[in-house]
Amino acid sequence: MKDEPMSRAENIRFEVKILDTGEKFSCSASDHLLRAMLALGRKGIPSGCHGGGCGVCKVKVTRGTFTSLVMSRAHVSEEEERDGIVLACRVMPTSDLEVEVVGKLKKAITRPKAFGLV
Amino acid sequence: MGVMRIGHVNLRVLDMDAALGHYMNVMGMKETHRDAAGNVYLKCWDEWDKYSLMLTASDRAGMNHIAYKVEKDADLDVFKKRIEDYGTAVEIVPAGTLFACGRALKFNLPSGHEFYLYAEKEFVGKDVGVTNPAPWPTDKKGIAAHWLDHALLMCELNPEKGINKVQESTDFMMKVFDFHLAEQVVVGPNQDIKAATWLFRTSTPHDLAFVGGPVMGLHHIAFFLDEWNDVLKAADIMAMNNVKVDVTPQRHGITRGYTIYFFDPSGNRNETFAGLGYLAQPDMPTVTWTEDQLWRGIFYHTGEEAGAFTSVYT
Ligand code: FES
Ligand SMILES: [Fe+2]
Repeated sequence: MKDEPMSRAENIRFEVKILDTGEKFSCSASDHLLRAMLALGRKGIPSGCHGGGCGVCKVKVTRGTFTSLVMSRAHVSEEEERDGIVLACRVMPTSDLEVEVVGKLKKAITRPKAFGLV
Repeated sequence: MGVMRIGHVNLRVLDMDAALGHYMNVMGMKETHRDAAGNVYLKCWDEWDKYSLMLTASDRAGMNHIAYKVEKDADLDVFKKRIEDYGTAVEIVPAGTLFACGRALKFNLPSGHEFYLYAEKEFVGKDVGVTNPAPWPTDKKGIAAHWLDHALLMCELNPEKGINKVQESTDFMMKVFDFHLAEQVVVGPNQDIKAATWLFRTSTPHDLAFVGGPVMGLHHIAFFLDEWNDVLKAADIMAMNNVKVDVTPQRHGITRGYTIYFFDPSGNRNETFAGLGYLAQPDMPTVTWTEDQLWRGIFYHTGEEAGAFTSVYT
């Protein structure tokens, strides 16, 4: 990390609530939800590539506003994006947020592995 | 005669500038060409061919194709016949179809991955030259990986439905291209389902690996480093650059390599892989890892799944 002073906008922190678990954490306007969650030792949203490519961190934002970076169309369609379905590693809050996990890891957890890797 | 080594990989990236920042400033590759369509070609300092990585801007991450280099142009004719005899569709694409390469064979692995073989690629030379060379270039950047070493491809595995693309792709590489099986993971009640394989043509334990998963994809591309201390320093450089690290430095049981898994800015997994592992030879007996020791094989120290090995790939 560079030690430049953070601008005022980057300093603003918002509260993010994961509806599935009730977990809450704070996230600055310049950070993405997934990194902020992990940096504070919280859990709830599945974590993978942090690059918008793998799709495991898929969430639906049910309340609040945010800005986002480009995310893989293999995992979030244009319609989904219009409905507030996004990848948590690509989303920076501009208000307090409530999110619900819809990532594919949620399914993987409910289906036990029967053959070591699958 | 035969396949020599991995030649290049064509990755899809969501943001070209971010991707170049990663592959050039963190991995230490250099841009050698940019085409009219916007594809960017890069090489490592210790490689002599024009490129080992082709980046294509896309709305999704993952791999478009992978290419291996054969020794002689005439090998392509031999392999074309062998591929056809195996019952797989193959076409010869003219020189220049793959940028800066001669004619090439194009086909799909049983797993579905698009695969090319070529014999010629424009020569550029190592950054240190060939006359009284320094051991490393003084203008190296970041991790300064030596070369693209191997790739691990995820293949559909669904034993309940009788689908095993790991087995099919392994058979194909061995029977058609004389790849050798260094190591394998076997699972299932009779321990007879090949769930992962490590194959080689060079004298190191793998030039290509297949691992079973719910859907096909790219698990990782790996870059070579000399030794354990380079792996530690590479991880330092990743942290300084806020690279998302998946698995911190440790040893693979399989191949004995020293490893770090991490992600490029589009979420494609990379690895830095160090060490010889062991001398791989065509007459070497295959090493087998059983289902109960599978994770010992992959992450030797903990013997447990680390990071998001099975659940996250592009
Ligand atoms: S963690 Fe991979 S898309 Fe967010
Ligand atoms: Fe690897």
